[in-house]
Amino acid sequence: MIVAEQKTLDEIRRMIIPYHRILVVGCGTCMTVCDAGGEREVSFLHNALRLAETKSGNGVHIFSEYVLKRQCDPEFIDLLVDKVGDIDAILSLGCGIGVQAMAERFPDIPVLPGVNTSFMGMARELGVWDERCAACGDCRLEETAGICPITRCTKGILNGPCAGTKNGKCEVSKEMDCAWVLIYRRLERLQQLEKMRRYYPPRNFRAIPRPKRIVTKASTGTGENDG
Amino acid sequence: MYSSVADSTQSYQSSKTAKSPPDRSLIPPCQAACPLHMEIREYVDLVAQGKIMEALQVIRDGNPFPSICAYVCTHPCEDGCRRTQVDKPIAIRALKRFAVEFGGDRMVRAEAETTHGEKVAIVGSGPAGMACAYHLRKLGYPVIIFEAHSEMGGMLRVGIPQYRLPREVLDTEVQRLSQMGVEIRTNTRVVSLDLLFEMGYKAIFITIGAHQSLRMEIEGEESPGVIDGASFLREVNLGLRPSLGSRVAVVGGGNVAVDAARTALRLGARKVSILYRRSRAELPADPKEVEQALEEGINILFLVAPTRIKRRNGRLSVTCIKMELGEPDGSGRRRPVPVKGSEFTRQVDTLITAIGQAPQTLSDFRLRVGRGSTIQVDPITLTTNRTGVFAGGDAVTGPATVTQALAAGRLAAFRIDDYLQHRYPRVGKEVCETPLGDLLPDTIEMIRKIGRLEPPTLPPEARAEDFKPIELVYDWAAAISEARRCLRCGMGAEIISQDKCATCLKCLRVCPYHVPHLDASGTMQIPADQCLACGICIAECPAKAIVLRKPYDRRQVTEELHHILRSATESKLKPFIIGFCCHYGLFGTGILASLWREAKAGIWIVPVLCVAKVEADHILHAFETGAEGVFIAGCGGQCARENTAFWICQRIKKAQKALAQIGLETERVRSFTLGTSDEEPGKELDKFVEQIGRLYLASTMMQEVKS
Repeated sequence: MIVAEQKTLDEIRRMIIPYHRILVVGCGTCMTVCDAGGEREVSFLHNALRLAETKSGNGVHIFSEYVLKRQCDPEFIDLLVDKVGDIDAILSLGCGIGVQAMAERFPDIPVLPGVNTSFMGMARELGVWDERCAACGDCRLEETAGICPITRCTKGILNGPCAGTKNGKCEVSKEMDCAWVLIYRRLERLQQLEKMRRYYPPRNFRAIPRPKRIVTKASTGTGENDG
Repeated sequence: MYSSVADSTQSYQSSKTAKSPPDRSLIPPCQAACPLHMEIREYVDLVAQGKIMEALQVIRDGNPFPSICAYVCTHPCEDGCRRTQVDKPIAIRALKRFAVEFGGDRMVRAEAETTHGEKVAIVGSGPAGMACAYHLRKLGYPVIIFEAHSEMGGMLRVGIPQYRLPREVLDTEVQRLSQMGVEIRTNTRVVSLDLLFEMGYKAIFITIGAHQSLRMEIEGEESPGVIDGASFLREVNLGLRPSLGSRVAVVGGGNVAVDAARTALRLGARKVSILYRRSRAELPADPKEVEQALEEGINILFLVAPTRIKRRNGRLSVTCIKMELGEPDGSGRRRPVPVKGSEFTRQVDTLITAIGQAPQTLSDFRLRVGRGSTIQVDPITLTTNRTGVFAGGDAVTGPATVTQALAAGRLAAFRIDDYLQHRYPRVGKEVCETPLGDLLPDTIEMIRKIGRLEPPTLPPEARAEDFKPIELVYDWAAAISEARRCLRCGMGAEIISQDKCATCLKCLRVCPYHVPHLDASGTMQIPADQCLACGICIAECPAKAIVLRKPYDRRQVTEELHHILRSATESKLKPFIIGFCCHYGLFGTGILASLWREAKAGIWIVPVLCVAKVEADHILHAFETGAEGVFIAGCGGQCARENTAFWICQRIKKAQKALAQIGLETERVRSFTLGTSDEEPGKELDKFVEQIGRLYLASTMMQEVKS
């Protein structure tokens, strides 16, 4: 899941200054799950913005809100078409993908990001999320016992641990586990320690040109190719 | 285990299509157990909120004579109560008594208009007859009641002693019936049904009760000094004071036996004992009554049955035999078997036999009579073998409870209406309802155990002197504390739309009772029979996909807040402070009550049904409308949950974060966790008010400086 956190109210207020009518759009999938832009957060932000306007005494903005099921699909965004007629700007509480998808769909309306998209991760417990994947496009988890050194090692090195590991923690922070120690322990448990002995060549950066595209539909041979 | 999974999706569909109130097909066990099918959960909830008049309204909707039931109901609802699985059932009858006494039941006037021409005669004025008369009058029929005794009420009058049901209560209800236009003929024994038909009555309802005591069939039963329980109680209740002597024995173990024994005690008998042929476990009388009888000094001899009575020198010598319990009989109770050679003799002045009663139907009525002399009727239409003659109450069922009789009377009224209007009888809605299932062990473990509060009673030594009612009424605090123990079965949260639900698992993680769960297909389910309506998941759900099943509860906080904010802004008092306070605690705890009373002008209290339902949005909204400060005061140690304060803290922190960025001081929001601090909450609140006053002053000065 994509994890994000909402931008500060100050930053959002600065962003919307040039505009009058603002549509706050939430996203019902990842942003709802990570408490950054679901219906509750949209309504809370809406309330907070209104309160800020009331208290500062120069209420010039008109807010409306809407929550899409997913902002990363054009068909869902189409639901907004008749709601943006007189809108000056869209404040999207979707992840970076959502913001861009909206910007693409509405070429004439500024789309403002309301959240900082942070990482792809998992829930540790209520209200705590951890990064787990960097979407590098070249997955090596089989060799590293299901623990990703790219995301979980600060340096992202493939042949760890480095000399900065101490008592299983990373030199960067005492709170942070050394990914390579975790890998070692798990390989030991799985009786696959020989994988530690191997040298892993640098990753195939040719497989990772950005932006990436994946095409799952079969080519029908009528001149289309998978570009 | 989760049988309600299918049901909750069903209710979701129905709530989408028809906006129906809470799931009608799942009813709380108390309601399912009540013969009258009363909305017990609703009125207990209203009592918990201190809305006594509304509670009485709900009670009166289901029961035309709530004051009677408030005294004498055998409360099968309490046996069904799911709180039994946690600690003890809710004291539902005592709460009803509270609602009746404090809700102004005496003021209620019953009115009815005559809209039909067909006259209906009711033979017998017991609870069934009275209920039938009431409902027929409400339906618009002219009704007449014939009563053989000198006073109305049947067994309520002649069977139940005054210390259990004061006569004024009964008189009020009878008076209300005549106010409605029910014609009442006392001292009138009906001897022929044909005559009634000749007099122009189109339908007759026979509810003659079961007044005929069963005989013990032992030697000497006819001797003077032996009296049957029903006749004894009747004589006493109609004003006679039979002289009993000092030693009285009562044979039997039912409520009549206990009533007779306690009545004898009140008439001056020194030594009263009850002889029962089985053991205490089998005793059919209400355990509460038995306990009170024992308190009053009545001696109960178990496993004893009389075999012979002899009268000698003005006293009775009763030969008894000891019994032991054998194999279970047809009723499931163990059959008592005499122990050979264990005879003994007791000397008594009066022997009261109360081993059961049966109806006594005149053969002139030409009604088909079945087992135990009961009148045979069709269970659905309540018709007898004669056209236009209906029957109900004890006369049909044999001795039963007041509530059952009231239910029979009500049903009879509807069936007589069907008959007179030539309609096919409609089956009641209760048939298609299923009660909620049991609580799961996981849920039970997390429910805070709160002891049941019994209503106060007169001390035993003060009871035996006269026939004053011995059970007293709750006071407000006690009634509310008791009512809020209710688990609100089936009124909890539901996912209003699975489509909105992002299956983020937040509800599963925040629920204090571990109720929400993923079903086999990975869909979030909140089973109706487990949820206890705390509202935490509702305020936390990031998709706002969860709501309470009861539409009123959904809107409660928002509506109250709007209402209060409107009044606050209209009053123009500055600065004003909004306080979200636990509604139950407002009435139930002395502390919150004093907060409310001390609330100064400028403090506006929004009563919420548990402060866990207050959202950060509500706090912001209060500030937006002009509040200078907001506080949340929960009921502290009285709360049904341990972690309510944690959630309040979360919401306050969230609101504070936004306020700080807007330029408002975070001190403007705070919570009072009552019962944890040593300081008096009133003083703490005063401090808070002062602080807000200073902040307000500072902010107005700043504004002036700016302008």
